[in-house]
Amino acid sequence: MSTSTELKSQIKRLLVENLMLQISPEEIGDDQPLFGPNGLGLDSVDALQLVVALDKNHGLKLSDPEAARKTMQTVSTIAAAIEGKPV
Amino acid sequence: MSLRIILVTGANGGLGTAIAKNFLAESPENFVWLGINNHRGQAEALTAEHPGRCRLALLDVTNPGAWQPAVAGILTVHGRVDVLVNNAGRHEDALLARMDPGSWGRVLSLNLDSVFHGCQSVLPAMISQRSGRIVNVASLSALLAPPGQTNYAAAKAGVLALTQSLAKEVARLGITVNAVCPGYVDTGSLAGMDDETRRQALSKIPMRRFGRPEEVAAAVRFLACADASYITGSVLKIDGGIF
Repeated sequence: MSTSTELKSQIKRLLVENLMLQISPEEIGDDQPLFGPNGLGLDSVDALQLVVALDKNHGLKLSDPEAARKTMQTVSTIAAAIEGKPV
Repeated sequence: MSLRIILVTGANGGLGTAIAKNFLAESPENFVWLGINNHRGQAEALTAEHPGRCRLALLDVTNPGAWQPAVAGILTVHGRVDVLVNNAGRHEDALLARMDPGSWGRVLSLNLDSVFHGCQSVLPAMISQRSGRIVNVASLSALLAPPGQTNYAAAKAGVLALTQSLAKEVARLGITVNAVCPGYVDTGSLAGMDDETRRQALSKIPMRRFGRPEEVAAAVRFLACADASYITGSVLKIDGGIF
């Protein structure tokens, strides 16, 4: 498994465990939108938890709301931000 | 032993000291940080009485820049913060027509803005822990809106609205947010009351006595305890039956 694939798996587990999602990590697509009715359906409270969890587990600081919105679009965009790639 | 970390603001006042003492008496596992600004009096005495179980936290609650280092200091020592009691407050009574705008600003800042800053400072840790208790000390003035207290009543009513709105925001994160509304409580703030005002105040209280700081502290401790896990967004009056 590549580093990037492993990282995405970690992010999916983090989503399921921290947000208490009633699905398995494998059911989340890499490029599936996390927020909104056509995606995973996360809301603003989930976003709040996710920001804290990403900081705690991966040292990813998302203090700017606009940057946070861009970063937390999908598992892939989060992984890119953790790896320091442009989102 | 796993400690329960508690921060009480305004810990040098009569009510703040009573709240801190109540937590210290509740369990040897409670560690209390006494948030004080400049008057150290009672808080310093408490640290001497309970060495190793409480510490002073220098904190101007009106200054958002002061909260971050204060909470960071607590997290450095303990790695967590379990309870925040936003108790610091003061009133400057005057009829609105004659109220100094500076008094309006000071009262709003100390009684309402401080609660916002405090909650915002502890929430990242509480969200990360998926647990926390916030208890805001409002006032019966928030509900009765007495004349001469437009600033204080507005600020404390704001605290109640903040409490209920925030409670909904963080309910699913294991964090509860509640408020208490003390009525007339026999602390230093009643000491300056003349006999006639005192008699009039007592006549409004069905119990015909002022509350004791310990009676407010007991309610705060309850709202912060594990047994209060399904109580959030609540406003508890502690007023001897006024209404």
